Amino acid sequence: MTMHMNTDAIVKLDGVVKQFGTFTAVERVDFEIGRGEFLAIMGSSGCGKTTTLRMLAGLDDPTEGDIWLDGERVNGKATWDRDTPMVWQSLALFPFLTVQENVEFSLKMRGVGKTERIARARNWLDKMQILEFADRNISQLSGGQRQRVALARALVTEPKILLLDEPLSALDAHLKVRMQAVLSSLQKDLGITFVYVTHSMSEAFSMADRVVIMSRGKIEQIGSPQEIYHAPRNRFVAEFLGSSNIFTGRLVEKSGDDWLVETVHGRFAVTASNAPAKSLGDAVTFTVSAENMHISPEGAHTPGIRAKVVGEEFVGATAIVFLETETGEELKVQKSHVELTSVNLHPGSTLNLHWESHSCHVLPGE
Amino acid sequence: MTRSRPSLFSLVLSLPLLIWQVAFFLFPLIFLVAISFWTVRNFQMTPDLNFGNWDRILTRGTFWDAYARTAMLATASAALTSAIAFPAAYAISFKLSERAKQWLVFVLIIPFFTSYLVRVYSLQVFLSDAGIINAFLDMFGIGPFLMLNTTFGTLVGMVTLCLPLVILLQVFSLNFVNRDFVEAAHNLRCGRLRTVLAVIVPSARVGLVIAALFAFILSFGDFVSPLYLGGGNPPTLSIMITDITKSGQQWPRAAVVALMMIGTLLTVAFGAITYAYKERGK
Amino acid sequence: MTGNRNRLINAALKLHIAACVIFIFAPILGSFVFSLNSDRFPSLPLGHFSTEWYRLIWEDPFVWAGFFNTVVVGLIVAVIATVLGFGGAYTDFRYNFFGKNIYLALALLPPTIPVVIMGLAMLAFLSRVNLSGSTISIIIAHGVMCSPFAMAIIRLRLSQMDPDLEAAAWNLGGNEWATLRHVIIPFTKPALFAALFITMAVSFDEFAVAWFVSGLNETLPVKILGFLQGQVSPRINAIGSLAFVSSITLIILAQMLLRNSSKDKS
Repeated sequence: MTMHMNTDAIVKLDGVVKQFGTFTAVERVDFEIGRGEFLAIMGSSGCGKTTTLRMLAGLDDPTEGDIWLDGERVNGKATWDRDTPMVWQSLALFPFLTVQENVEFSLKMRGVGKTERIARARNWLDKMQILEFADRNISQLSGGQRQRVALARALVTEPKILLLDEPLSALDAHLKVRMQAVLSSLQKDLGITFVYVTHSMSEAFSMADRVVIMSRGKIEQIGSPQEIYHAPRNRFVAEFLGSSNIFTGRLVEKSGDDWLVETVHGRFAVTASNAPAKSLGDAVTFTVSAENMHISPEGAHTPGIRAKVVGEEFVGATAIVFLETETGEELKVQKSHVELTSVNLHPGSTLNLHWESHSCHVLPGE
Repeated sequence: MTRSRPSLFSLVLSLPLLIWQVAFFLFPLIFLVAISFWTVRNFQMTPDLNFGNWDRILTRGTFWDAYARTAMLATASAALTSAIAFPAAYAISFKLSERAKQWLVFVLIIPFFTSYLVRVYSLQVFLSDAGIINAFLDMFGIGPFLMLNTTFGTLVGMVTLCLPLVILLQVFSLNFVNRDFVEAAHNLRCGRLRTVLAVIVPSARVGLVIAALFAFILSFGDFVSPLYLGGGNPPTLSIMITDITKSGQQWPRAAVVALMMIGTLLTVAFGAITYAYKERGK
Repeated sequence: MTGNRNRLINAALKLHIAACVIFIFAPILGSFVFSLNSDRFPSLPLGHFSTEWYRLIWEDPFVWAGFFNTVVVGLIVAVIATVLGFGGAYTDFRYNFFGKNIYLALALLPPTIPVVIMGLAMLAFLSRVNLSGSTISIIIAHGVMCSPFAMAIIRLRLSQMDPDLEAAAWNLGGNEWATLRHVIIPFTKPALFAALFITMAVSFDEFAVAWFVSGLNETLPVKILGFLQGQVSPRINAIGSLAFVSSITLIILAQMLLRNSSKDKS
């Protein structure tokens, strides 16, 4: 078998399948991770993201397919023979060791002498700004400090790749944002590859160079946060991001990029730039992001959809208004509070919704 | 980590215990089955396939008398211990503070680490005709009562043996009873005693049955109380085994008695556990 | 009205607990009191204070020999049972395999078999393989009886461990052996000591099996049985009290270890 290994790739997954008994956790996954890249693997629980990470770490072995790490096929290679340290969701710090002994652990396992071990561990504790806690017990540290110990412990061998399994999920919102900044700058300073598993879109999109979205063991989309956000590939991704309204219909007119799509709500003009080729009569699914929706009071003779207000949610300076159409679909609109004062927003009141044709994004994968 | 075949590591950790228990627990029990078919000639056991031992033991009235007596004693002990233990376990689980609960549990563990034999010897002093209890009662002009070398004496010993374990097992099962059920029952005007009988006992049924089962197992196999507090005559099955063993090389017959005991215990245990879980699943 | 009745019932229940505790501990305390009493067969009123029985056992070389045997057997049994129990507990914690239920049944069932039957079975079996009558046979029998206790204690400690801890150690470069040494054993250390102490206490106490199995090399409980079968002697109270104090010391040590360790389960 010939390998077309991208010289910039440090990890390559080639048709990787993982089964536990009759349950398929990961179903034929292919992707590469570049050197120095910050890659996030995102999905809801049970989507296979953690299993994928554990296979990279060597904690699980793929049932089928190959995993290449730094040019070497590592199937069947035990985790202790790889240099793929992981930061665990539970952090998994050793409660019977001090902070410094925790950080020394992997050096000790590699037979590094005591003097060097201490020096290297203290260097990393210093880098993570927790040197003053070196002789403390783990139970005496705060959540954020433990996080730093876990990072120091994983990085002390100066690996080429660091695996992180939802490391921030136990922290409160404020600390989470601070630790995101720490992780981002750490990754840039070290220039090593981070593979970061999370179910949180905000964590993935704020830190990662590229994001892999998984569902039911399969990859739904890979791309930069911008690409994914502005051009979700399919309905799953659009729904997962949760910020768009999704419409399905049939292509009824077409001239170049200007399409006319017939839906249950009526006919809509869609500017289909970068859309896949479709012929008349084909099914088309397009999205309009909530912030690109416009609302106007009912009765104004504007085109669009009539919908009833069902609820409202405050998001900082903006609010998301949830509406229900006459056919029972839910739609949402995100606007500043100032814009929303112009319309009657009581639950039960009816509004008109419309948008520009260039705000539409045709889902290529549908 | 998927393993197609067991690693050296896993074998080194799991096998020693397995080998030890197979060699020194399972084999002796299997060996017991084997020697029950052996014959004894000139005070020497010889391998054989002889049903004579079974025939001899199982056709004797003395064996069946002892069997019935042992079964009755064990049943009485299990019932008595459970009845005495339940109010205490209920009070410990429902009425005491967390701290008092922990202390009592610790106190109840202590008897497991005292010699049962020493305790029974001490009980002899309490129960004998001129012993502590009769001397105490005599001050009020009552008695003396015959307690030592009676069935009563045997049961006192067995209850001493079983009570701590039964209380502990009952407390553990009562701790798992959902407190909301009890309050819901009170809220539905279910009285105190009816709540105990209609809500708490059924909820803790598995634990209560298993506690009684342990009392039965311990009492059924006990030979210290029947011997030193019950007088040893007429004998229970355990006393029969020790008598047969000490009086020569008739081990095959002792093995038959032992196997009958194991068979009974397994049947009772299986029955009790089936009963406990069937009721629960209803 | 109801309040008064409730208070009465609660008081009655607490009284019942007290009665149960007194019933359970009367023979234990009685044995202490009798051991310090001058009467050969104590009754009310009690005789005068005396350390005669302690002096007698102090001067009895057979008691000393029995005591020495008990301690040696207890120490060896504790180590064997703890090692075997650790392996069993870790196997149950880590692995799933065909026939695991049978494995666990074999590991945990011995305490439910009546000691008389275990004694007979082992006596018959060990004499067949020429192991009866020696200290080794007692050690073997006690190993069977004690390892389930050790296994249960250690298994409980392992269930308090973050399951990621072991995988984290592998991931940081420790192979299974190194992880066992540097993570699993340090984590279970309090339970290992507790298991050592408790199995030693069980061994001190387990006389019936020893009585059946051993010949000349008597342990202390066997000696007690000898006293009982021969003429009644209050020396048994003195020996029992001493054995009780040493057992309880071991149990309290074990309890303290387990209490402290459950605090830092993190």
